Amino acid sequence: MAGRGSVFWGRTEELRKTVIAGIIGFAVGAVIIFLYGYSPVTAFGALFSGAFGDLYSISESLANAVPLILTALTFAIGFRGGMFNIGAEGQLYLGALAAVTVTLFRLPSAVSFALSLIFAALAGAIWSLPVALLKATRGVHEVISTIMLNWISHFLSFYLIAKILVDPLRGEKTVSIAEGSRFALLVPGTSLSYSLIISIVLAIVIFILLWRTVIGFDIRAMGHNELAATYAGIVKWKIILFVFISGGVTAGIAGAVHVMGRPPTYAVYSGMPAINGLGFEGLAVAMIGRNHPIGIIFAALFFGGLLAGGRTMQIFAQVPLEMVRVVEGIVVLFLAIPELMRLFPFLNKLKTSNLFKARASE
Amino acid sequence: MKSNSKLLIAVFTAAILVVSFVAMPWMTQAGMGKVAVVLDVGGRGDLSFNDMGFKGTDEAAADFGLQMVEIQSASASDYLPNVRTAARSGQFDLIIAVGFLLTDAVATVAKEFPKQKFMIIDMVVDLPNVMSIVFNENEGSALVGALAAMVAAHYGYPNVGAVLGIEIPVLYHFEAGFRFGIDWGNKRYKEIMGRDADVGLLYTYTGTFSDIAKGKAATEAMLAQGAGLVYNVAGPLGIGDLQAIAEHLNRKGKKAGPPFMIGVDANQDWMGDGHRVLASMLKRVDNGCYNAVKAVVDGNFKGGIVVMGLKTKGVAMSKAGDLDTFMEFGIGAGEITGKDKSTIKKNWTEMRSDIPRSIWNALDDLERAIVSGRIIVPTANTLEEMQAVRARYPLTK
Repeated sequence: MAGRGSVFWGRTEELRKTVIAGIIGFAVGAVIIFLYGYSPVTAFGALFSGAFGDLYSISESLANAVPLILTALTFAIGFRGGMFNIGAEGQLYLGALAAVTVTLFRLPSAVSFALSLIFAALAGAIWSLPVALLKATRGVHEVISTIMLNWISHFLSFYLIAKILVDPLRGEKTVSIAEGSRFALLVPGTSLSYSLIISIVLAIVIFILLWRTVIGFDIRAMGHNELAATYAGIVKWKIILFVFISGGVTAGIAGAVHVMGRPPTYAVYSGMPAINGLGFEGLAVAMIGRNHPIGIIFAALFFGGLLAGGRTMQIFAQVPLEMVRVVEGIVVLFLAIPELMRLFPFLNKLKTSNLFKARASE
Repeated sequence: MKSNSKLLIAVFTAAILVVSFVAMPWMTQAGMGKVAVVLDVGGRGDLSFNDMGFKGTDEAAADFGLQMVEIQSASASDYLPNVRTAARSGQFDLIIAVGFLLTDAVATVAKEFPKQKFMIIDMVVDLPNVMSIVFNENEGSALVGALAAMVAAHYGYPNVGAVLGIEIPVLYHFEAGFRFGIDWGNKRYKEIMGRDADVGLLYTYTGTFSDIAKGKAATEAMLAQGAGLVYNVAGPLGIGDLQAIAEHLNRKGKKAGPPFMIGVDANQDWMGDGHRVLASMLKRVDNGCYNAVKAVVDGNFKGGIVVMGLKTKGVAMSKAGDLDTFMEFGIGAGEITGKDKSTIKKNWTEMRSDIPRSIWNALDDLERAIVSGRIIVPTANTLEEMQAVRARYPLTK
């Protein structure tokens, strides 16, 4: 079982690095809070109680984690295959709007519910297809094509929201998902719905796919050493196609679970102020979770906790939102450092990075 | 290497400890009332609803010795948990929700916490513990409509314009009042100047509250048809309206209007260097928030709809005093600097004093008549009602 152990059991080294990074991040945050005249004790006390203090807080943190797990998976699948897929943002918009579109057809609740998820997955997959094809046939780098497609999706979504899906009675939003086709609340009186199960199941599916199937092995082989993988007979274009389509599916579903599972409006506002950024935040979550599906679940919970705790920091410690976000940004940045160093080996040459260097035993 | 890292951790831990004990939290004073103001994603610095909501609540908190807690929303997903977390704490005597985007959140939480008092601006939430403050936009629009007609006639322009947003019932209040005002202004102009005014109205529903280019295009078309003033009834589109006016003036080698824009919601007079926006139709969100806090303090807070019009200072035409307040917002948001203030004030004063005293006096008459109830300004809530108002005041050339 030694092989299994290296997958995610006994990863104390990774855990050690994460904890150190987190401590430093919070310490720097504390200094900044102090310098601006607030009390770090009150602020962080409010942060932690608002994130994990009681059932309500934990539910809010988990609710924030639901879409982030899925957009982080998009990035992680690509990363394991040696690709830098930042297209989740655009695919997520279309996933959310696909779910809203299904509502327009007034199908029976259960059918509408299932079709919303399926069409959201399809929308995400279709939107990632040009990226895969451009890369496989023309060698266009995915960073360029995903950024471009994100913007196309952004403006296409603005058009769809304003012209096609708009709520005739309330011009500021699309029609809402029909009541019977929403995710029920898992904990009443909170924002947490059963959509959490979708996220966790998909994370486990992606884990099995990457570490327990042949195609998963091929993807990881490609990520480790493209030349060797190709030499061993792995077909590159198949891997590219698989990586981007499965990434598109999780990103599309991320949009759907947010619009179908997050109270109270169950619609997309004009300007998308609720889903804007979830794709990029997923990238940060993937970094903290070391691009591992199980790590991502915990990283998303942590990230979601920061967001929920940021609220109580604002309300009960009176730290302004701008400051809250600076502190959150610092913590996230520090937590991402170990993975960033793996990504960009030149960072290891910097002296300050000694702290995160792997031990010889690893 | 290892000792290095341990040292670093030790230093940081020590830093946290020292820092935390030095800076003891200024705890909230016991027994002090608290009021929360929840903002939408526009946040502080929007120069409109959020800034005004903050200002009004802040002033009320200072006057009545309350503590105000500002709750900003980073994402629209925050609306519900922001309102709910505040309500759950039970600490707040009143929770103010600034703007209609928070409607669903307030409706949900107000049901869960029937003893918590809420106030929402610009939208109706029909629950016994929610005070819904809405505005008589038609009354303020009538004032700026009369101003627009008389000023256009004074400078020899045949038309005035209105650039509106999405065609929703709220905007009918503006259009109906504006039409009435133009008609009133035309008649009064003939009485005081002895010349026919017959100023017409050009209006466009752009279908957007965010596409600034559409505001610019609509304004350009109106200027080409001889509009002397353009009423912005689409929030941010005013930026586009004002660009069109500035370019139009540039081509003539001028900087100051006419043509002018008329601002909306907030005081936008300071935009355009103080001499391209003649006046603004203010929705006094700040007064609404102040009154709600006062009602709680006085013990006469009641759920239900509170309509604020000219009489109750819920709407108004911009005056010199407001200009200073909103210039401070503009400075806070980095739109203008402190050095611009005196120029803007000077330009604005010149712009307004170029318009004959008799026109301003006429506007004072109209305001008094509306406040006293001698004049009832028409309004519209449905397309049918709007069409009736359009038929009564066609204002076509």
